[in-house]
Amino acid sequence: MSKTFYYDNIEGKNISYNKLLNDLSNTNSYSTYCRSNSYYSIFKHIILSLITGKEIILLDNDFSQEEIHKLIGYNKNIFDIKSIDPIGQINFNDIIDKIKLNGATCKLTLFTSGTTGMPKKISHNFDSLSRFVKKEESRKNDIWGFAYNPTHMAGLQVFFQALLNQNTIVRLFGVERVTSLNLINEFKITNISATPTFYRLLLPADHICNSVRNLTSGGEKFDFRTLKKVKQMFPKCRVRNVYASTEAGTIFASEGEEFTIKSDTSHLIKIIEDELYIHESLIGESESLVTVDGWYPTGDMISVVSENPYLFRFISRKNESINSGGYKINPSEVEDIIRSFDGVIDVYVFAKKNSILGNIICCQVVSSNKFLTEKRLRLLLKDKLQEFKIPRLITFVKSIKTSRTGKLLRKN
Amino acid sequence: MKKILELINIVLENRDKVKLEEISESSDLRTDCGLDSLDLAELTVRIEAEYDIDIFEEGVITTIGEILNKLDLEKTDE
Repeated sequence: MSKTFYYDNIEGKNISYNKLLNDLSNTNSYSTYCRSNSYYSIFKHIILSLITGKEIILLDNDFSQEEIHKLIGYNKNIFDIKSIDPIGQINFNDIIDKIKLNGATCKLTLFTSGTTGMPKKISHNFDSLSRFVKKEESRKNDIWGFAYNPTHMAGLQVFFQALLNQNTIVRLFGVERVTSLNLINEFKITNISATPTFYRLLLPADHICNSVRNLTSGGEKFDFRTLKKVKQMFPKCRVRNVYASTEAGTIFASEGEEFTIKSDTSHLIKIIEDELYIHESLIGESESLVTVDGWYPTGDMISVVSENPYLFRFISRKNESINSGGYKINPSEVEDIIRSFDGVIDVYVFAKKNSILGNIICCQVVSSNKFLTEKRLRLLLKDKLQEFKIPRLITFVKSIKTSRTGKLLRKN
Repeated sequence: MKKILELINIVLENRDKVKLEEISESSDLRTDCGLDSLDLAELTVRIEAEYDIDIFEEGVITTIGEILNKLDLEKTDE
């Protein structure tokens, strides 16, 4: 029996590598635009793009017609499908060879998540997208829990990592908590890459998943307390943090909160007023990204821990800070404190427009502690935070909404 | 009126201020109720969460009576 390529509980799909090869062989049409609610269709489309060397533009399935027109232009037809010569019989090694051959030239276009405004269009080639992807003999038995949107940078990284090593991919993104945990154990998933929010939503640690060896976190700051609980759930895993963006792909990886700059990229990174700047040579091609003298301001605020060796931590997004009555508040700081209280599973601090203060700090809390009331929480916060940072309205909710990329939604 | 008193007292309690026994239409939010701008901001959010109306949207409000008018509430104890 052929190895499973992709398992999707939501779509009800269990696709083997043989089926994938067969489907690719029989394809006789191609569209530059890739928009589908089927992850398998998206994966197949990406592979087809790479083996034929044709450009692909990845669109989220939930983009509205209006958004699509704004992003790609009003005169473009996303349903424009052209006939192509069937690829014919191919094997897995042919795919890898063709991907390598077209890697430097094949254009993949995607859009930033839009958490900081209108999504921006960025084009990469396969080589820049797979900068941190490793194809090694020791990775051939890896089984991936897929916990990102496949049309976004992080999802692509996981997909390429799994595909190049001919691994099995099991969808976890959008899958309900208990089902996810059952899938992890059933498929003996070894690797998961996800946002801290995704891991938090898997808590409490009432299931133990011994198969997971490597856990990657990115997209947001991973707070120590959640990390500790996540490690109880995945006792045999090694945790790695990555810093990646749609603009630049993966740039740094670390075992803890502190990142270092490797000597081969150090000349392409600089820090101005605590903000991380990346040299334009690392950035994908885009008309909407503004660089300053060849440097792209990432909007990520960092704090330098030591100069030699050079170590730094990510503190927050530049535009994440909330201005409430003239006070600047970093929501991540407040969330970190609230998360440290007993019974708090998840928390989300956000601004609500207010006619008096401009913005007022609010928060939603998911708690398993019935004694934790708004009053009690406020009392606990008084010892930990300046008064202006304490959320003025605290509500207890069953779950917290996340963005398309699985990050917390900062806007209200 | 009772609900508004309850909301004002939550705000006062949150800031370690003395709770009110009663309020009237003529009670001034700042001088009689002891609410500062931070408290008023919080009160508007709490009222909005309850009644879906931003009482300060069209300008400054100074008394309990004006809140009741905005919310179109009966000026009774209920």
